[in-house]
Amino acid sequence: MPWKALMAIIETKNLTYTYPGAAWPAIKEVSIKIEKGEFTLITGPSGCGKTTLCRCFNGLIPHFYQGELKGEITVAGLKVQEHPVYEMATHVGMVFQNPENQLFALSVEKDVAFGLENLGVPREEIRKRVDWALKLTDIYELRERTPTELSGGQQQRVAIASVLAMQPEVIVLDEPTSFLDPLGAKKIFEVIYELNKKLGITIVLVEHRLDLTAKYADHIIIMDGGRVVLEGEPHEVLSSEEARLIGVGIPKATRLYKMLKADGVKLGGKVPLSSEEMAEKIREALKSRD
Amino acid sequence: MSFFDGLRFRRVSSPIHNLDPRIKFIYACVIFAVAIIFWQLLPLVALFVLQIPLVLVAGVKRQWIRSMKGAAFLASIIFFTNFFVSFMSAGYRVTFTALESALAMTLRFLVLLGSFSIFFLTTSPDHLGLALEQSRVPYEFCFAFTTAVRFVPVLAEEAQTIMDAQKARGLELEKGNFLKRVRNYIPILIPLIVSAIRRSLELAEAMESRAWGATKKRTNLYVLKLRRGDYLFAAITAGILAAAIFIRLHFYIPRLEELLTGTI
Repeated sequence: MPWKALMAIIETKNLTYTYPGAAWPAIKEVSIKIEKGEFTLITGPSGCGKTTLCRCFNGLIPHFYQGELKGEITVAGLKVQEHPVYEMATHVGMVFQNPENQLFALSVEKDVAFGLENLGVPREEIRKRVDWALKLTDIYELRERTPTELSGGQQQRVAIASVLAMQPEVIVLDEPTSFLDPLGAKKIFEVIYELNKKLGITIVLVEHRLDLTAKYADHIIIMDGGRVVLEGEPHEVLSSEEARLIGVGIPKATRLYKMLKADGVKLGGKVPLSSEEMAEKIREALKSRD
Repeated sequence: MSFFDGLRFRRVSSPIHNLDPRIKFIYACVIFAVAIIFWQLLPLVALFVLQIPLVLVAGVKRQWIRSMKGAAFLASIIFFTNFFVSFMSAGYRVTFTALESALAMTLRFLVLLGSFSIFFLTTSPDHLGLALEQSRVPYEFCFAFTTAVRFVPVLAEEAQTIMDAQKARGLELEKGNFLKRVRNYIPILIPLIVSAIRRSLELAEAMESRAWGATKKRTNLYVLKLRRGDYLFAAITAGILAAAIFIRLHFYIPRLEELLTGTI
């Protein structure tokens, strides 16, 4: 997609960060480039520095966490070190792991309005944007409920709506589905994908469930031990031997494809990333045999 | 957990619930003031009865009665102390005056409690937070208030989980004397506090990410606006206050003794 390659919205050069009091850095010499409008997937074993990297994107590192940040990071044209978190927040929306701990208000609507209220946006505009965000995330009917009355998946959609209302260019989601059931997770991914496709919002998704997400991604980054170890186009990266060795949850369809290939079964085209893609390939193969 | 049930917040709608919380608060204060300016039993009984239609309209009869029952113990202490003091000062004789003043004191307390529980039972915490905000209370306080209310059920659930987990590990909560029982709760409290602190860090992170503190001039999605019902209720409140002052200054209020013996 050529229009996507116009400009890097997130760019880091040799980014190294050590938490205060930590003996060694949590991320080491990370140099990545994320293009505008891209759907990027970051994955890797637990404790590999994914969350730390995400915190750098909206300035929580270094402003909130202190510690030592070396190297360069530019997000939406702003040098993160020089701009406070509330300024970065208007460009980068963050959705965290635990949905419960990112909702503060007593109604969904009020929660979605929270960021805009903080920014001092006029009331009519808040109302408009809140309704817009609620409709896009499919929770408009829930707007008067209390967060405690909602399921985890609904709560997480509220969290997405609340960053969406601030109309950021990038939405970073740090394992948004680890507290959710598979169905709730699937719905979240669909919502995210729609925001990416319809509104062209750049998505950075940290996720272990590659089975459900790899098919959406334009770009995948695999981290291990605080470093970026593999990066590139998902089909290539996920079919590589290195990815398997790191212990990334390679999609089952991809593994099946590779097993069949090892046994000499030839299925045409690219490596599949999802069951749908695999099914398509098998269908084609069966057809050509007839 | 039944203990937290009272704090759990429900969204209900009634003419009283929909009133502006500020007006309701003024109402509760006015009722309290009126209860103070009278010391005779009759007007206090009238004042107490006056609360009942409000409770019925708001549809919070059950909760209101429960809170009145909860106050019964304290009310009886107030009654007996007052009665005992006047009983002694009257030379160990039961007089009508002693009885009346003790009853009046108790009723004052009940009127105060009754009117304020109407306020709290019919005002949702987010309304209350909004009223605080619009009364120029610094936003940090209002935020702390609504967030506290928001997390009561969450923490209650967590406390329950921790209790179950510790019981599964063999902790016996209901064992031993009073001191021992209090000590039994330490293995519940420590994890609860630790997790609350951790939670607060995550909350702070999420707040920062949503532009907390970006501007001093915060706006608000909702505004409290006085409507017809609010003006009507304010007028009723003012009427009660005016009538009470007028009666106090210009009328003779019969005493309990005179009422009972019929010598007005």
